[in-house]
Formats: sequence, C-alpha cells, structure tokens
Amino acid sequence: MIFFDNASTTKCTESSVEIVKEYLTEKFYNPSALYHESIEVKKGLESVRNVILKRLRGDGKIIFTAGGTESDNIALLGCKKQKGGRIIVSANEHAAVYATAQELKQRGYDVVFAPVDNYGKVIISEFEKLVTPQVTLASIIHVNNETGAINDIQSLSKIVKKVAPKALFHSDGVQAFGKVEVNLRQMGVDMYSMSAHKIGAPKGCGALFIAKGVSVNPIVFGGGQEGGLRSSTENVGAIMAFGKAVEERYTCLAETQAKISQIRAYIKQNLSSIEGIQFLSADDSSPYILSFSTPKVRGEVMQHALERRGILVGTGSACASNKATSRIAEALSLKGKYIDGVTRLSFFIYNTLDEAEVFVKEYLAVYKELSKYGA
Amino acid sequence: MEHNYNCILIRFGEIFLKGNNRNYFESLLIKNIKLALTGLNYRFARTQGRYFIEEFDPNDMDEIISRLTKVFGIHSISPTVKVKTDLDEICKVAAAISPKEGVFRVTVKRADKRYPMTSMELGAKIGGYMLYHTGGRLKVDLFDYDFELFVDLRESGYTYLFYDKIMGAQGLPTGCSGNAMLLLSGGIDSPVAGYVMAKRGLKIYAIHYHSFPYTSELALQKVKDLAKKLTPYCGDIKLAVVPFTEIQYAIHEHCPQEFMITIMRRFMMRIAERVARKYECGALITGESLGQVASQTMQSINVTNSVVTLPVFRPLIGNDKAEIIEIANKIDTFDISIRPYEDCCTVFLPKNPVIKPKLSEAIEYENRLDIDTLIDAAVENTVMETITVE
Repeated sequence: MIFFDNASTTKCTESSVEIVKEYLTEKFYNPSALYHESIEVKKGLESVRNVILKRLRGDGKIIFTAGGTESDNIALLGCKKQKGGRIIVSANEHAAVYATAQELKQRGYDVVFAPVDNYGKVIISEFEKLVTPQVTLASIIHVNNETGAINDIQSLSKIVKKVAPKALFHSDGVQAFGKVEVNLRQMGVDMYSMSAHKIGAPKGCGALFIAKGVSVNPIVFGGGQEGGLRSSTENVGAIMAFGKAVEERYTCLAETQAKISQIRAYIKQNLSSIEGIQFLSADDSSPYILSFSTPKVRGEVMQHALERRGILVGTGSACASNKATSRIAEALSLKGKYIDGVTRLSFFIYNTLDEAEVFVKEYLAVYKELSKYGA
Repeated sequence: MEHNYNCILIRFGEIFLKGNNRNYFESLLIKNIKLALTGLNYRFARTQGRYFIEEFDPNDMDEIISRLTKVFGIHSISPTVKVKTDLDEICKVAAAISPKEGVFRVTVKRADKRYPMTSMELGAKIGGYMLYHTGGRLKVDLFDYDFELFVDLRESGYTYLFYDKIMGAQGLPTGCSGNAMLLLSGGIDSPVAGYVMAKRGLKIYAIHYHSFPYTSELALQKVKDLAKKLTPYCGDIKLAVVPFTEIQYAIHEHCPQEFMITIMRRFMMRIAERVARKYECGALITGESLGQVASQTMQSINVTNSVVTLPVFRPLIGNDKAEIIEIANKIDTFDISIRPYEDCCTVFLPKNPVIKPKLSEAIEYENRLDIDTLIDAAVENTVMETITVE
C-alpha cells in the first residue's frame, strides 16, 4: 500500500503508539487531580507546552484542544474583536476557518475573503486593498492544505498591524507545524493552530498558541482546564505523543524535507508529459503537497482507480455536486473540466522514492486507460 | 397498586378478506412479526383474530411497538394491561391506569358471553369505580370525551384494558404476493418504490449497478444503507451488485451520446430480469415517475420496457416528487438518498439525452454491441449480499 494522502492524516509513529499506550495504562491519571501521580502527568503536559513553544519561537502560551478545527474555532470565535469589525480570511482557507468566518458573518461581522493566485497563495497587493482601520481579525492559513502554498505571513501581518494596530492575526498552521520551520516572532502572529495527527501523533489532539497579552474567551465551558480556555480533561496520551512527534519532526526536518522534495520533484517531472496537466502547487510551496488537475480524468475517478492498485491519494473534488470543494476550485480560478480533475498527493516521512516510481508507472497507465473515456 | 402495561395486542387488517388463504397469510404475518422482533425476549400468543406479545421486559415496550408498526399486515397495536377476568381486579386496574382528570368513557367488548353482566352494565360498573377512586376530577360523557378506556373480555378468561390504538403499517404480509426485484439506484425514488410494493405483500430483492472507479465505495455503501432502512418493513433483502463499467464503456464507445442513458437502462432491465428469474422473482420494480427525467418519459419507458417480459411495477409512476419525498421521510431513507455520491446513472451523462427515443433507433445502435457477452459477464460477476434486519 502506497499512502500519498498524508495531508488528510498520517500513520502514528511507533513512538506515538508506545507513549499513548503508556498513558492509557500506567500513567492514566487525571492531570487535574492533586495526588503525586497526577502531578507527574501534569508536569508531562507542561513539558510538551514548552517543546511546542520552543519550536514555534513564540512568546505566549499553548492550550491543548481536540484538534486543528477546534483550535481555529477558539481563535476566531473566542478572541476579543471589535463589534461589527472587519475580518479577513483567505478565499481558500480550510473549512475550519472558512465556515467559522461564515458564522461570524452571520453574527454581524464584516467578513471579507482575500483572493489567491493560481497556486493558492494570498496575493499581497489584493490583500492590502482589503485592510482598513476597521480590521479586527485576519486569519490566513500558513501552508494551504489543498496546494501547499506557503503564505508570506510576515508581510501580511505587517500590513494589517500597520493599518489596524489593534487587530489580531491568526494563522492555521495545521499543514505547517512539524513540516516547515516556524518563527512566530518574525511572522507577527497572535494565534496559531496546530494538529497532532498530521505529523505522526494520534487524532483528536491539537494545540493553539496564544501570544502574550492577547485576550481569548472560551467557547467550551466546564471544569476550567487549560486555563479555563478549553474545559475538558486533557487527552494526555495524545498530547504526550504530540510532543514527541514535534521533537522528532524538527530534529530531522532538513533531511525529511530533502527526501520529500526529491519524491515530489520526481513525480512532478514524470507527470509533466500528460497533455493539459495543470500543477496547482508552485515550486516554492511546501514539499509535502503536490496538487494537479487533469482535464480528461476526474480526480475522484482517478482516486478510485488507483485505490484498486494499492495507491491512496487525495482529491480536490469529492463530487461535482459537493459545493464545499467547488469553492477551492473557484478560488484557484480553475475552469471547466479542471474543476473536477484535481488530485492531491501529500507525503510524509514514510514515503520513499521507490514508491514515487511505482506511483508514476501506475498513474500513467491508469491515466492512459481512463482518459479514453473522457471526464 | 402499580399496573404496568404487560401485553401488546396486535390486530391484523386486510388479511381477514382473504378467505381460504387466511392460514397462509397468517403464518406469514407471524413469521414476519417474529423476524421483526429478533433479539428481544417475549412470548407470542394468539387467539381468534388477535395476536399478543407478552412477558417482555417493560423497558423494551416502546422498541417492540416501534418495530411492530413497520410490519405490513398489522392493522393496529395497543399496549394493554392483561388481567384475569375478575371485576374487582378490572376496576382497580382501570382506576390505576386512568388519567386523573378529564372527560372519559368506558367501552366494553364482551367476547366471553358466559360472563353474567352485559357490556353496558360492565361499562357502568367500571366507570363508576373510576369516578369514585381517582380523586373526583373525572367526568363521564359517552359522546364528547377526552379519552376512551377499552375493556376487552376474551373467552380465554383474561381481560385486556387499554387506551391507545396505534396504527400499524397496514398492507399485506411481506412475501404473500411473491418475490420481486427492485432496481435500487441510491436516489430518492427507488427505496420508496420498494417500500410501497412490499406493502402489497411482495418480498423484495434488490439489484444495484456499480461503476467502479466512476462511483465510489461510499455510493455502494449508500445503497446498502438504503436497503437496510427497508428491512424493518421488508425483512432481509438479498442485494445483487452488478459491475456495470464495462457496459458503459461499450455504449460510450459505440453508440451516440444522446442514447447513452436509454441503452444503459435497456441493459439494466435485461440484467435485472436475468437475476430476477434466477431468484424466482415474478416482477421488476422501478421508482420511475412519469416525466421526471428524460429516461422516464412515456417513450423512454416504452423503449426500456420492451427488452423484458416480466411485468414491471412502477408504483410511483403517478406521484409528484413531493409525494415521494414525504414517504421517503416517513421510512427514513431521504437523508441517505441525498448523500452526495454519484451513482452509475450520473456518470457518462450526456448533455442532451434523447427525450423521446425511438425503439428502432435504440435497437439499431445497440446492435453495434455484443449484448449477450456483455450481459453474461455482468451477471457472472454479480455479487450477492444479504442485508439483514438489525
């Protein structure tokens, strides 16, 4: 089985599995209890906060959540905003931000969408036009989940802070953290969302960075865990595994990036011969994602055909009738048959060049077969 | 004293009409009731014209009633308190289960004619006791009342007291009209068509055409989920999944685009008939509704119908979409049907399908294909699966 859909989720690393097991069986204590065993568990959580903060290079705090989506929700809904103020999000944000922004629109905020180029990157000059002194929040994804485009968060945040100094800047770092270098001080980010399961740790766990001095209100109420910002007993095992995964990913980040860049380049080069293929990932995008669209075979059909050959890939479009995905196609200015033709490959530490070779061979064979019948 | 509803009374409907066949119908109905109640503990009892579910866990009562309301052939259901026919006991129960205020009447049915009082006398006696023992806030009015207590004295020496009559699914016991093969697409109409025909006593078999890789595993799962939703009404359903991609390729390659759907449907009907005969189905069922889409015009139906000799039941032919959706909601299939997965009818969809196809043209184009070989291969690779009642 070749798994090229790692932007959707990753297989847990062995160390993650061991840590989770340890915390489910031996160190299963509730971190909020007052006896020694719990205090030890709590210390463990604190150490993970420090690991994450160090890798983010940020001044602030970390709260643990149930995943990237919840982190985005707490950031957008919970942060202090000027009533009726302007909120800018990019047109191709992940649904976790996009749908939350729609909700804020319903609640009376002036939500506007920043256009992106054909590779899914926010166009700075267009973004600038949307920035007014009324901006209260901007949320721009760090690495786009569909195309891998890396947004220039530093420039975007500077533009916002210059015109609207009190505005907050949030970035969804779910596809970035653990995969590319992050420097929140440089980026000028007030809130940053992360997810564990995209980097080899379990599902159901994420984190939100909140910069010093930024005021956020909870959206879930209860026992007051995570400084009252996210009540609910912490998913201790997953958090501990997350910490370990962060360390592991950053320890050999350069090697991983080099290896994955090679895989990506190999595939891109070998698929370039396909007539009419349009790559949606720019060369300077995250090496972990390669998206492209073909006019003759629909992405979903290709996905199912490859599935039969033991290759799992992602698709930009689940189905023509699925509106959620046509939004992304529209944002990327895809036209006609390209809208449904999107395939997304996404890589992780386990992937090899051998797999890339098999993939290319199989893909080209399937494409030749299916393109006879048209999209 | 606390009195629990300890017996569920089942009345059956139309099968009364069936004269000599009554034993056959009843045995089917009983079998279907028992199938519907699979996994629950209870005792089944019957007397002349009535069935009883007894000795069940009181916590299961709502579940039992919910399942019974989906069994075709049942007219109505009542949760009852069953007591020995003893007037003092009957009166006590009546007072205990009665609402404590409002206007009521007591209706007594005395099947046990040996009992020394008439129905009227009994009603008066029981009603009097209720008035006296419920705190004085009840009133009697035989014509304008809020609730009606039924007291049923049976020959068995037991009496049943109840208020509610819950309507059953009506219809005929599933299976009494034979087997039929339902073309189940994944859309809104076909499960409804299956439900409607099952109500007339047909045992439903289903056939689905799958176009991997053009349709996904989720599309197939959707069809299985739809079939599952029908099982409380229809019992277990045998589902035939037919690989259809090769046939679509062949049509796409050799026939004019606008005839794609027409010819595709002719293949579907042929395959359905082949599989139907194998499972001794005497008819095909489709969810067609006249004029709904291009393939459901009178001319299209004529062209697709002409390849089969089995009768084709189209119970929704005269229904509007809204009427079909109403039933789909009632049987809980609507939410599944609108899951956004493509089915085999939407892939290779031509821009302008022919609305009034001519039979001669369809035959002419079709003759470019090796029809028998394509059908043989599809039938041979058909996978059968049984979708069981929960």
